[in-house]
Amino acid sequence: MTLETTSHREVTVNLESGLHMVPCSRIAEHVRDFAGTVCIMVEDRSVDAKSIFDLLTLRAPLGTVLTIEAVGPNSDDLVQGLAALFERNFEPE
Amino acid sequence: MHTKHGIAVSPGVAIGPAFVLGVEDFRIPHRSVSGDAVDAEIVRFRCALENVCREIGDNEKLASEQLGTQYGAIFAAHQEMVRDPKLQGEVEALIRDRHYSPEFALSRVLGQYAKVLLNLGDMYKADRAIDLYDLEKRLLRHLLGERREELSNLTAPVIVLARDLTPSETASLPKRFVLGFATEVGGYTSHTAILAGALEIPAVVAVGDIVTDVSGGETVILDGINGRIIVDPDEDTILEYRDSEKRARSVAERLVSQRSLKSETADHSRIWLMGNIEFPEEAEHCKELGADGIGLYRTEFLYLESSREQSEEEHCEAYRQVVSAFPEQPVVIRTLDLGADKVPSQMPQLYPLGANPELGLRSIRLSLNDLERFKTQLRAILRVASLGDVRIMFPLISSLIELRQAKSTLHDVMEDLEEQGVPFNRDIQVGMMVEVPSVPLLAEDFAREVDFFSIGTNDLIQYTLAVDRSNPAVAKYYNSADPAILRMIQMVAAAGEKHDVPVTVCGQMSSDPKYIPLLVGLGIRQLSATPHVIPQLKEVVRHLTIPQAEAIAAHAVKLELARDVETYLRGELNKLCPDLAK
Repeated sequence: MTLETTSHREVTVNLESGLHMVPCSRIAEHVRDFAGTVCIMVEDRSVDAKSIFDLLTLRAPLGTVLTIEAVGPNSDDLVQGLAALFERNFEPE
Repeated sequence: MHTKHGIAVSPGVAIGPAFVLGVEDFRIPHRSVSGDAVDAEIVRFRCALENVCREIGDNEKLASEQLGTQYGAIFAAHQEMVRDPKLQGEVEALIRDRHYSPEFALSRVLGQYAKVLLNLGDMYKADRAIDLYDLEKRLLRHLLGERREELSNLTAPVIVLARDLTPSETASLPKRFVLGFATEVGGYTSHTAILAGALEIPAVVAVGDIVTDVSGGETVILDGINGRIIVDPDEDTILEYRDSEKRARSVAERLVSQRSLKSETADHSRIWLMGNIEFPEEAEHCKELGADGIGLYRTEFLYLESSREQSEEEHCEAYRQVVSAFPEQPVVIRTLDLGADKVPSQMPQLYPLGANPELGLRSIRLSLNDLERFKTQLRAILRVASLGDVRIMFPLISSLIELRQAKSTLHDVMEDLEEQGVPFNRDIQVGMMVEVPSVPLLAEDFAREVDFFSIGTNDLIQYTLAVDRSNPAVAKYYNSADPAILRMIQMVAAAGEKHDVPVTVCGQMSSDPKYIPLLVGLGIRQLSATPHVIPQLKEVVRHLTIPQAEAIAAHAVKLELARDVETYLRGELNKLCPDLAK
């Protein structure tokens, strides 16, 4: 049995127009099959990364620093993957 | 503000919000579901999600391939919205806990999301409102499927804009909520146009592209008098129209209050003003408007409105209803005039249209080609004729042989009824429509073989001037005031007088007040018109003397151009009844 773990990671929004609809959809797509929960937090707000509608409410313009928190099996891998998505500015690999 | 021009087919002016039919407009039929349907409704909702997801996937592929991946990404985002677990969870909770219908629950949840997003500030403003709307539309389309609710669910008055309306759609327009309608196609004499007149809903047809230009909700002025639609009118235009609307209404009220007055000229010549009707229900209305009978009872509805062949009894019932409204006055029943623009949807195989349907197997030709159906109708008419002054009229007669065939079929039916001991009226008056130019040319020959003529100007104009009456591209060539048409009416009136055969004019020409002095002046004493104009026609008749009418006709027939005839007649009407001149 895989162990449930909790992982954190800080990422920065490097997109000119902020974290708009398309990147939000990429995040949701990335985490959809994750067996645990994933939150993205900014300041005092936290949203469910599996819901594009939730993500859209993040209000994260260029330069915003976000915290990703994943709880579940292999949470580290998931967080790594998400951070990579931010780093390459949501472009396909 | 922009204006579109079309053909005015039903007078009146209406101002109201546009309701675009036939494009993406979804109304939610039911807000709640019963408790035991909850599971099934949730399954239905999930199916819609799945289907939409697949549909968006196809769009994504297409957009990526043809426009570039950045466009495909938009659809990928939409797909992510459909898959959103929160959306699904919240909608299903509303269905399960509050028994909302999936449609209603969905639009509630998406509505809330849109509100939240809109309140976030500028960042997302450009995309999400549209995206959520698009998503809602897609899902509703799948949820509602064929059960898409349109006209029957209106709750506030609107002006309906449509590509086209079928006769049955027109007939079922909820009059309370439909201020007027406009269609992209259609002609002055199309079935839909005739019905609009009957329903007294202002209408304009053949306006060209409108459904794609108007999204719905815009203020629209529908001018059924001048054949105009004004989208997003400015204040001045609205005021102007409100004013003329008010004037028109007060004139109409005054005229209706005079319905019990006799229809006679100022010098006491009786002019019979009868109604053209489509449905039996209209007979009562004709009576209220002061009609002297029914001059044209179209019977096509018996075929067009039903999914199966009507029985003799059903024909009888439809005729009896009209006769009971006019027990002592003429009721002229026209035998089936199907074909060309009137093809019953349930039997297209019977109507091989060919390249020129208007010149093909239509009307009386169709009846003579299918004697069994024809006889059913004739039996019903003959039986009902024993109850009142019922007359029978054959449409689209083009040669004596056709007339004789129709009459001999009628006699066969009489023999059958006689043998079977069924009561009927053997002395029924038998007449024919004058719609094909061959008839005016040989009017004297025909006059010897009929009891009355009725000039159907719509088809007579179409065949004389070679204008397809349903084709907007040539609509300008279709003109009641053409000197050739005036000459034909003159010829029929003369033959009628010589052989003592009364001549009626039905068709749209006799529904236009400006033609009344001309027609009376040409010797016509019976007119049959769209019911709602009867009070106006009576007003004209009562202001007219026979010498005056004859002088007007004598002048009009000397004019060389349709345009001049029309201008002249409009001017004369303005002198006679300034209230009615448009």
